[in-house]
Amino acid sequence: MNDDADLPKADHADSSLTDPAAQGESVSRLDADTQPDEDPQLDAKGISRRQMLTRSVAVMGGAIAAGVGIPAIFYVAGPAAEDSGTAEWIRLGAASSVEPGTPTLMKANVERRSGYLTSTEELSVFVTTENGTSFEALSNVCSHLGCRVRWVDEQDGFFCPCHNAVFNADGTVASGPPPRPLDQFEVKVEESQIFIKGIA
Amino acid sequence: MREQDREAYLEKYEQQKKKGYFLFLFQLLKYFPGDLEVVGVIVLPVMALTFLIFLPYLDKSPWRHWSARPVISTITIAMLAGATFLTAQSLLEEAPPGSVTEAGDRTAALYISNCAGCHGSKIDVRPDTDLFSVVSAGTHEGMPPWNADLSADEIDALIGFILAPRGSEVFAGSCSQCHAAEQLIEADAIELRNALETGSAYPPHVEFNLAEWSDTLTAAEQGQLLNFLTAPDGQRLWDQQCSSCHGRAVAFDGSASELRDVVVQGGGHLDMPAFGQTLSESDIQTLARYVLDPSAPGGDLFAQNCSACHASTIPTAASLPEAVDAIARGGAHENMPVWGDILTDEQIAALVAYVEQAAEGGDLASGGELFAQNCSSCHGDLGEGGVNPARAGDIIAPISTAEYLRTRDDRTLQAIISQGQPNFGMSPFADSFGGPLKDDQVNAIVAFMRAWEENPPVELPPDVPSSPQPTASGEEVYGELCSQCHGPNGEGGIGTSFADPQWQARNQDSAVFDAINLGHEATAMIAWGEILTLGQIDQIVTHIRTLDSSAPPPAPDATPTFEADVLPIFQASCTACHGTLGGWTGTSYTDALTSGANGPTIVPGSPDSSRLVQSLIGTHPTGMVMPPSGALSAADIQTIIDWVAGGAPEK
Amino acid sequence: MSSKIGDWVNERSGWRNHYAAIFLRKIPKINWLYTLGSATLFTMTLQFATGILLTLYYVPEPTQAHASVDYITNELTFGWLIRGLHHWGSSAMVLLVILHMVRVIAYGAYKYPREATWFSGVALLLLTFSFGFTGYLLPWDQRAYWATVVGTRIGEVTPFVGGSLKSVMLGGEEISGLTLTRFYGAHVWILPAVLLVLVGIHMYLVIRNGITAVPKRNE
Repeated sequence: MNDDADLPKADHADSSLTDPAAQGESVSRLDADTQPDEDPQLDAKGISRRQMLTRSVAVMGGAIAAGVGIPAIFYVAGPAAEDSGTAEWIRLGAASSVEPGTPTLMKANVERRSGYLTSTEELSVFVTTENGTSFEALSNVCSHLGCRVRWVDEQDGFFCPCHNAVFNADGTVASGPPPRPLDQFEVKVEESQIFIKGIA
Repeated sequence: MREQDREAYLEKYEQQKKKGYFLFLFQLLKYFPGDLEVVGVIVLPVMALTFLIFLPYLDKSPWRHWSARPVISTITIAMLAGATFLTAQSLLEEAPPGSVTEAGDRTAALYISNCAGCHGSKIDVRPDTDLFSVVSAGTHEGMPPWNADLSADEIDALIGFILAPRGSEVFAGSCSQCHAAEQLIEADAIELRNALETGSAYPPHVEFNLAEWSDTLTAAEQGQLLNFLTAPDGQRLWDQQCSSCHGRAVAFDGSASELRDVVVQGGGHLDMPAFGQTLSESDIQTLARYVLDPSAPGGDLFAQNCSACHASTIPTAASLPEAVDAIARGGAHENMPVWGDILTDEQIAALVAYVEQAAEGGDLASGGELFAQNCSSCHGDLGEGGVNPARAGDIIAPISTAEYLRTRDDRTLQAIISQGQPNFGMSPFADSFGGPLKDDQVNAIVAFMRAWEENPPVELPPDVPSSPQPTASGEEVYGELCSQCHGPNGEGGIGTSFADPQWQARNQDSAVFDAINLGHEATAMIAWGEILTLGQIDQIVTHIRTLDSSAPPPAPDATPTFEADVLPIFQASCTACHGTLGGWTGTSYTDALTSGANGPTIVPGSPDSSRLVQSLIGTHPTGMVMPPSGALSAADIQTIIDWVAGGAPEK
Repeated sequence: MSSKIGDWVNERSGWRNHYAAIFLRKIPKINWLYTLGSATLFTMTLQFATGILLTLYYVPEPTQAHASVDYITNELTFGWLIRGLHHWGSSAMVLLVILHMVRVIAYGAYKYPREATWFSGVALLLLTFSFGFTGYLLPWDQRAYWATVVGTRIGEVTPFVGGSLKSVMLGGEEISGLTLTRFYGAHVWILPAVLLVLVGIHMYLVIRNGITAVPKRNE
């Protein structure tokens, strides 16, 4: 066969793209899904060779897609599950610097890890004590919209300047929009130094 | 080889294999060296590409079966076969002899993971190449310096491998069952040769019933093995084989051929006459006793017969009979081994080349002079170090301790001097890097420093402050420890001034606490948290807060003058550049006041409008803060400001 | 149910015609060598998927590039798998493209009327190599760096334009952060865009012209 002889075959394939009607008979004969009765190659179980192949291709494709797709989900979600470095005890300062009865603002630099990057950020915490031996640490971030609260002696409470919210000395909401008390940190005292651990 | 080493090595080996489809291209390039490169890089690939693009028009016949298209089929098969052949060749070369199967051959593994990727299985090195510096400094075109990744021993082993790749195979075949490569690479060259020549009779080998190496290895293979184990690298050979007697400072003023004779003949070159024929028995006895104990009589005899060669240095001997024997027989009685029998030709050549080169800079006197001129202002007359004038608050560690010198080879010292250490405020000194010294002057300084190693003028570590009582209060601890650098009243010195209100304002308590607790790297400020309790540190922080002088530091009694106060600062920190660079020059009073690229830099009476002051405190809109290595100490800047404000007097 | 949805979509998009044209077209009697093209297409899809996933973490910046690759490989869940697939996929792709091309030459499948398919195929071959070359630098380790040094130095040998070719490739005289970003841009945006267009043309031509039968000796 020479190239000219090869042409009609190409033309035939061509027609299948532009004019499916011309090939309708062969399509319907091949398309076992829609016209199973006409398929000449039914085996004992009623599954044609074409169906069998289509299904195995689908199964294999699904397996490959799952093999890549499921790890991909973990891969994308990965960093969310990572510990960003707040689970360690952070030293705030000397316990003696906290005045009994008045919340004292203490600051510490915290190293945060995000993926392969580390950054330091300043963490500000109000530390309160009644007797100088047991301590509580409250976040200075308002639980409403994240503004910074400050201690106002006259009101005997934490005041948030954004929406005039007031928290009591123990962090509970006294007035205003905040949905919950100020966040609390876990506190420990070692060698008369205050350490905190927790969220924020 | 330990299991994890093996894994790491296999992993690297695997990495090496990646991008295998480019291998044939690289292999192709090897056939077109030098000017022919363009053929391999451009001509052949472009031809192949043209063939591919125009294939439909090169082959217009309607026949599609391969047998009907002999030309196209042949070309395609030839191209495929060529690429396959080149890839296979590259892959075969990729695995150096004896490397993959023999777990013991670590050097081959080193070679594979570091060199084979670009160089293939072997490298042809021109004779007289200083391979060590090529490898460690990466002076070869496009090659990275390896001294950061590989230790000197590893580079050495690599050089041995490159010069004698067969040596690795011999090693794998004959030694690696019992020995790890690095174990033998560190061994003494004399012992290696000894083991090789005595074969099964070599004491440690006796019980193992070994074959005679002289039967199983040819002379060439023995040489390759020795080259592999003791790399022909002059400096390392000197350090390992010669420096125990000759010291680390290399000095030789003869010709290369004389030197070669001395090395090859070893003790054999010392033609001491056999005095048994010329002196009486009793004279020899007297001389021998004198040699053993110079207080014994015999000085006259020694002066007559021996001092012509021995000068005033009296040789030593272990025992009287040995001394008698040496004097009577003369000849090669010195202990210097006959290196010609021990080292291979390549090793001797490398050693001679190194001694020649190193001896050029080996003039200790001129080295000492150069050191005094160029180095001692920062490093002290004896290399003991001191305050870093370029960086306030920094201490230069001693450079003349045995520890320092032992851990840095000559090349490292050369590099430090030549290129400087800008991070620490040390400017480059070699003229190739813009400094004042020629390379051989740098070598002379290195040789001078090397001479310290035998007898270091400074010994480390200095007394570590005794651990204070845990009960000491913060104030006591400050007085005992901190005040040494920061001043009893926090006025500063080597360390930061705590009296400075700006410093007090800038640093939170927690930052001060962390600085004390964790220290600062590369400064004298160590991590005190290891010595003090957290409570003490906290008290120190409190104490430091009391040192704040809200008033600025007391003004000096009188206006500073150029000669007494300002010039020393300039000399310490400025004139290294601003003396030769053009622009402003700070070496003399006239220059300081009159020079400058765009006009005077100093306006007497007005510090604010003086460019000099602006550059020092960083208020000038263009240019960086001077000096580039970091601002001057606050006290120095204040001195200069006061001097300008006071009318910039000369005296 | 599924066929109802299919019908609904078909009425509005006519997808069954295209599905039939692509997957149910008539083909001559062929052998397994004819799957090399599809295998290449599959590998390309995989490269797209894993490559897109890698861009979630990779940073084309000199001080961070290697750290981010290291993070992907050693710390991220399944990061080693995604990067490994992309890495080995690139080698597989080159190998498959070459085998596919050899099959086409061996069967004389580039002849009339398929010359245009062949031309687009040669362009795709070059494009695949360009992907390999630009992607190799991105991990920004010693090996990547020096491979690029060697690669661009080889390009420099080109007569007359070699020097400027090298500076355009590197974005300067030396490999720098500019080189990294332009290799990244090429690898992630320019080359994929060209690739998609060319693959579209290539596949349209394959479907339009049909595929050749295995040639017989006397044809």
